[in-house]
Amino acid sequence: MKERVEELVTHIQERCLWQFFSRSWDREENIEAILSKTADVLAGEAPSTETQADRCWAADAKILASDFRSQHPWLKDAGKQEIRDVIDGVKARMREIAVEKSKNGELHVTNY
Amino acid sequence: MPMNLFKCDATIPEREKHCYIKAPGEDTTQFLPASNVNTIPGTLSERGCSYCGAKLVIGGVLKDTIQMIHGPVGCAYDTWHTKRYPSDNGHFQLKYVWSTGIREKHVVFGAEKLLKKVVHEAFDQMPEIKRMIIYTTCTTALIGDDPKAVAEQVMQERPGTDIFVVECPGFAGVSQSKGHHVLNIGWINQKVGTLEPEIKSKYTVNFIGDYNIQGDTFMVEKYLKRMGIQILAHFTGNATYDELRTMHRAQLSVVNCARSAGYIANELKKQYGIPRLDIDSWGFNYMAEGLRKVGAFFGLEKEAEAVIAEETALWKPELDWYKERLKGKKMCIWTGGPRLWHWTRAVEDDLGVEVVAMSSKFGHQEDFEKVIARGRVGTVYIDDANELEFFEVIDMMKPDIIFTGPRVGELVKKLHIPYINGHAYHNGPYMGFEGFVNMARDMYNAIYSPLWKLAGEDIRGAAKPAVIRLEGEEAV
Repeated sequence: MKERVEELVTHIQERCLWQFFSRSWDREENIEAILSKTADVLAGEAPSTETQADRCWAADAKILASDFRSQHPWLKDAGKQEIRDVIDGVKARMREIAVEKSKNGELHVTNY
Repeated sequence: MPMNLFKCDATIPEREKHCYIKAPGEDTTQFLPASNVNTIPGTLSERGCSYCGAKLVIGGVLKDTIQMIHGPVGCAYDTWHTKRYPSDNGHFQLKYVWSTGIREKHVVFGAEKLLKKVVHEAFDQMPEIKRMIIYTTCTTALIGDDPKAVAEQVMQERPGTDIFVVECPGFAGVSQSKGHHVLNIGWINQKVGTLEPEIKSKYTVNFIGDYNIQGDTFMVEKYLKRMGIQILAHFTGNATYDELRTMHRAQLSVVNCARSAGYIANELKKQYGIPRLDIDSWGFNYMAEGLRKVGAFFGLEKEAEAVIAEETALWKPELDWYKERLKGKKMCIWTGGPRLWHWTRAVEDDLGVEVVAMSSKFGHQEDFEKVIARGRVGTVYIDDANELEFFEVIDMMKPDIIFTGPRVGELVKKLHIPYINGHAYHNGPYMGFEGFVNMARDMYNAIYSPLWKLAGEDIRGAAKPAVIRLEGEEAV
């Protein structure tokens, strides 16, 4: 499990700009929303697209899920629960890298 | 040895916090260079001033706006024509330069009357132009002029005109980054929402953080238009003053340069609920991914795939030809900040080029998080690099090509190393599919040009050594 989480985290680190938004709250929001929707797509479920923000997160999630599937073949054989467990691990690790242990001194500045 | 102190920095050891060499297994929670902080006295910084960040980078791009520089004439001249951003308005913004041209007497007695006179004069000379941005500079900020009051008076006296004032003198921040910030926040708070756009499509976006360097904007616009998407405001490539006032009506903000314009995208999200989608617009792989994301947002996936297929068919064979010849070449990127993280994977994935050193003039720690996450192990990452550090990096990494600005470029050329203008390009545009082929072509032409070797030969006599050589390198 840990290896699979790290594999996907490495992928996200190299490809995704949404993890690096300006402030901690933006990053937390993106990590939670985009990875939840990515898990939905990987599990064969439609991600919610009720609001404009949902649609934006879903756009990122669809592309990420597609890349995950093509570059990490083990995901094709993974069950829904396994996918959600792995993605939960990815979320925790991304929060650690991009928010909790980030050395970026501007993350908690109140204004943009 | 993650953080690195160059030999040349022995007398300014504070520089160690700004230089990082990535080791295997490391991530940005362990090491992150200090950045967006004061330049250390004694270092030969390559940074620009804060006023320059507002005027040269963002405001000066507008194709229908008088750029009134309230200060000594040098502030206007030095931020004119040093970036090549054309427009479809006869390149109006490149043809003219405006300045109040203040002198010592104005420092003593004030320059507000002069500003008012010159603003009227500019509008009189160009009666078809109704929009203006006034910039303060170090001098006029220090003497306490109030350009906003002057602008209000002029707007009352000349109905139909609209003036935006940027109060960001050169000393306002540590680099040009402060100018980006001030202009972004000033514009969203004062001008966005003051005009309604003409909506022509069900799908509307703001394209944020692209300044039409040698036609970049035209590339991106072409793709989005073919997908049926209307760009309400392009911040600020080939843009008009008024289209930027309508940004509040877009359904999505597509962000390219998050450093210079992330602020306005964040505020559009906060104030108007417009979501922000960050993409990379350089490189085949990245551009395709960006279009796919925009397509996914609007339900225009088929349209996005059609554009990608057409462009790939058109340009991929040329890209592959260059890739064969560029594979394994070593590249340095010494530019402002965002191009480091936009380009490092793009040139590696699409061209097989290895980026061995990157330096940022005005990037923040966010930019270093991005570039270190994307960059290679063993690559050197530097904030606000100085000349001597550049020489030392060249000695360490032996690059085949260096992308940097004209100032550092002159140093590089004297070492007979292929150089490409990383800010304004050699023969752009570089964005999009066609653009990336242009970039590859410029790299190929630079690396394979015989000029660099010939320039190192001393033609005065047969066995004389080249005068210029790297420190520690033996004469040939």
